Amino acid sequence: MKDPAPRLVRLGRALRAEGVEATVRDEMDAAAALRLVDTGDRDEVYRTLRVALKIRPPGVDAFDRHFAAFWSGEAHAPARPPAPRAIEAPRVAPRSALSWDPDTRTLHGGRAPGGDGDDPGASPAALLRRKDLEAAGPGDVADMERALLRLARRLATRRSRRLVPAPRGRPDVRRSFRRALRSEGELLALARRGRPLRDPRLVFLCDTSGSMEAHVPFLLAFLLAVRRAVRRAEVFAFNTELVHLTRTLAPAGVRARLARLARAVPDWSGGTRIGLSLAAFVERHAPAMVDGRTVVVIVSDGLDAGEPALLARAARDLRRRARRLIWLNPLLADARYRPDARGMRAALPFVDQLAAAHDVASLERLIPLLST
Amino acid sequence: MTPEITALLADLDREGYVADAAIATALFLARGLDKPLLVEGDAGVGKTELAKVLARILETDLIRLQCYEGLDVQTALYEWDYPRQLLRVRMSDGRGEDPRAVEAAIFTRDYLLERPLLQAITRQGPPPVLLIDEIDRADDGFEAFLLELLSDFQVTIPELGTIRAERPPHVILTSNRTRELGDALRRRCLYLYIEHPDLEKEVRIIRRRVPEAEERLAREVGHFLSALRGRDLVKPPGVAETLDWTRALVSLRQDGLDAEVVRQTLGCLLKARADLEAVDGEAVAALVEQARGDGR
Repeated sequence: MKDPAPRLVRLGRALRAEGVEATVRDEMDAAAALRLVDTGDRDEVYRTLRVALKIRPPGVDAFDRHFAAFWSGEAHAPARPPAPRAIEAPRVAPRSALSWDPDTRTLHGGRAPGGDGDDPGASPAALLRRKDLEAAGPGDVADMERALLRLARRLATRRSRRLVPAPRGRPDVRRSFRRALRSEGELLALARRGRPLRDPRLVFLCDTSGSMEAHVPFLLAFLLAVRRAVRRAEVFAFNTELVHLTRTLAPAGVRARLARLARAVPDWSGGTRIGLSLAAFVERHAPAMVDGRTVVVIVSDGLDAGEPALLARAARDLRRRARRLIWLNPLLADARYRPDARGMRAALPFVDQLAAAHDVASLERLIPLLST
Repeated sequence: MTPEITALLADLDREGYVADAAIATALFLARGLDKPLLVEGDAGVGKTELAKVLARILETDLIRLQCYEGLDVQTALYEWDYPRQLLRVRMSDGRGEDPRAVEAAIFTRDYLLERPLLQAITRQGPPPVLLIDEIDRADDGFEAFLLELLSDFQVTIPELGTIRAERPPHVILTSNRTRELGDALRRRCLYLYIEHPDLEKEVRIIRRRVPEAEERLAREVGHFLSALRGRDLVKPPGVAETLDWTRALVSLRQDGLDAEVVRQTLGCLLKARADLEAVDGEAVAALVEQARGDGR
C-alpha cells in the first residue's frame, strides 16, 4: 500500500455514514499505526485499523464490510440502514432484562410469552385497551399520584457516593488536621464531610398518540411528579409535532392539566411522527438540554408513521450526546407484544435500555436507571 | 506479520497468557504510538491480567489504580501526611522554631503520600505499567481529571509545584462497560475489545494454566463452556470461572465430565441464582452429553 491516507479518509467517511464514529483524529492514529506494521499482511492491517480507529462491537459489522473496499482500494458500498441488534441485558435490574433477538424477532427474558391467548389479529393498540388502567376511578388516581410523588422524591434524594465537605456528617480527618495546622497544631474543631445529593438531569419525550392513549394519563402523572421533585427535568410531548411541556406543567391537578395538554398538543391521539419529532428535538433543544450527564427517556410504543431511517438517525444522535438513552414502552408489559414496529426496530440499536412502563412497580425499577 | 508482534505473542505465551494476534497487535501499537490502551470486554476475559503480564514482559513495575464510585484525587493522586505534619508542628512548638521554617519543612516530598497516579509519574528507572482498572466505575468528574493527566503526565501540587514524568508510563485502562465512557477519553486511547475465547483458545488456556488437567478433560470443559455460553445467561462465565472449575474437577480426580459431578460443581461457573435455576439437572445432562460428543 503506497499511501493509505486517501483510503483511510474514504473508510472514515463510509463508517460515519453507517453511524460508526470515526473522527479525523482516529484516522490520523490509523495512519500513524499503519507506518508501524506490515501493510502487506491483510489480517494485520485489519487488526491494526480496528485498534487505531477504536471500533467497538456494535460497529464491527460495518467495519468488516468496508474494510474489504479499503483493502482493495475500490469504492465503498453505500451505507446500509443499521440492522436491529441485541440489546445488552440491563446490569442494574437484571430480573427485568429483556433482550431482542434479531433472528426470530422476539423478546427474551422478562415475562413468558402468553400461550394460547396469542391473537395475531389484535393490534397492539387494541391489546392496550384491555388494561384495567382505564377503569381507574378518581380515588385510584389520587393514590397513584401519591405513590408517584414518593418515587420522584426518591429519585431526587439519591446521594452520591462521593464525600464532600459538609456541616454535618462523618468526621473529616484530613481537613481537621489541615485546619489544626493553622492554629499551631491545636485541633479546635472537627471538620466533617457527607454525601451530596445527586442532581439528576432528565429529559422525557412522551408520545401522546392514539395508540398510547390508555397510558398517557398515568405516564404524564409520573412525569409531573418527577418534574416537581427534580430541578433539572424537561418534559416534551410529541405526536405529529413536538411540544415543550415543562412550562405548562407548573400548577396543580393532573386531570385539569391533561385537558390543557390536550389543547396544547396538536392532534392529541392521532397518528405519530416519532422520527420527525425526535429529529426536531435533536435540532432545537438537544444542544442546550442534553449533555454527558443527561439521561434521555423516550416514552412511546414505537408505532411510527414516518420514515424509520429518520428515527434511527435521531436516536443515534441522542445516544451520542446523552449519558444514557432509555426507551419506555408500555406495550412491553403485554407478553404478546413484539417490538417489531418498524420505528421501534430502527431505534433499538441505539437504545441502552428498553423497559416496560405500565404500572407503579415498573416505574420503581426505573429509578436506579434514571439516577446513575 | 511484523516481527515485533510475533515476538510479543511469544512473550505473552511464555508468561502464561494465551493471546491472539489482535491482543498482541494492540499492545504493540500502544507502545509504538505511546498511547494508553483501553481494553473492554466481559468480566473474566483477562483484561486485568493483560496489564500484569505486560509488566512482567517489560520487566517493570505494575502500578494499579482500582476505580470505584466516589474515588477522589486524594486516593488516586496524592495526599499530605497530616498526622506526621501535625506531629512535626507540635514538636517544633516547644523549641521556638521559626514558623516559616517549619512550614517549609512539612510541605516537602517527605510528607507527601504518593497514590498510584503520582507513583506512576515519579517512578525512577524504566517506565512502569499503570493499570487503571474498571474506569467505568469512577464518576465522570474523575474521568475528566484522568483525561488531563493522560495528555501530559504532569501534576501540579500547589505547595510543591509541578511534577512531570521523565518518561510516561505504559497505561492500560479497563472497562466492563457498566456505563459509557466519555468520547474524549475513548478517543485518546487505542482500543481493544477482548471477546470470550473461542473453543480452541479456551482449551489452550486450560492446558496452559491447569497443566495437571488431562487432555480429555480440558477438551470437554472447553466444549461444555462454549455450549453453556450459547445459552441466555445473566452472567456468562469468563475464563477465570473456567479455570476455577477445571481446578475443582482436577482436585476431585476427574479426567472427563460426569453429569453428577458437573451438577455439584456448577457453582464455580454460574454466579447468578437465576442462571443456576435455568441450568437444571436435565440441562446439565444434555450439555455434558453434547460436550462429550464434541470433545471426542
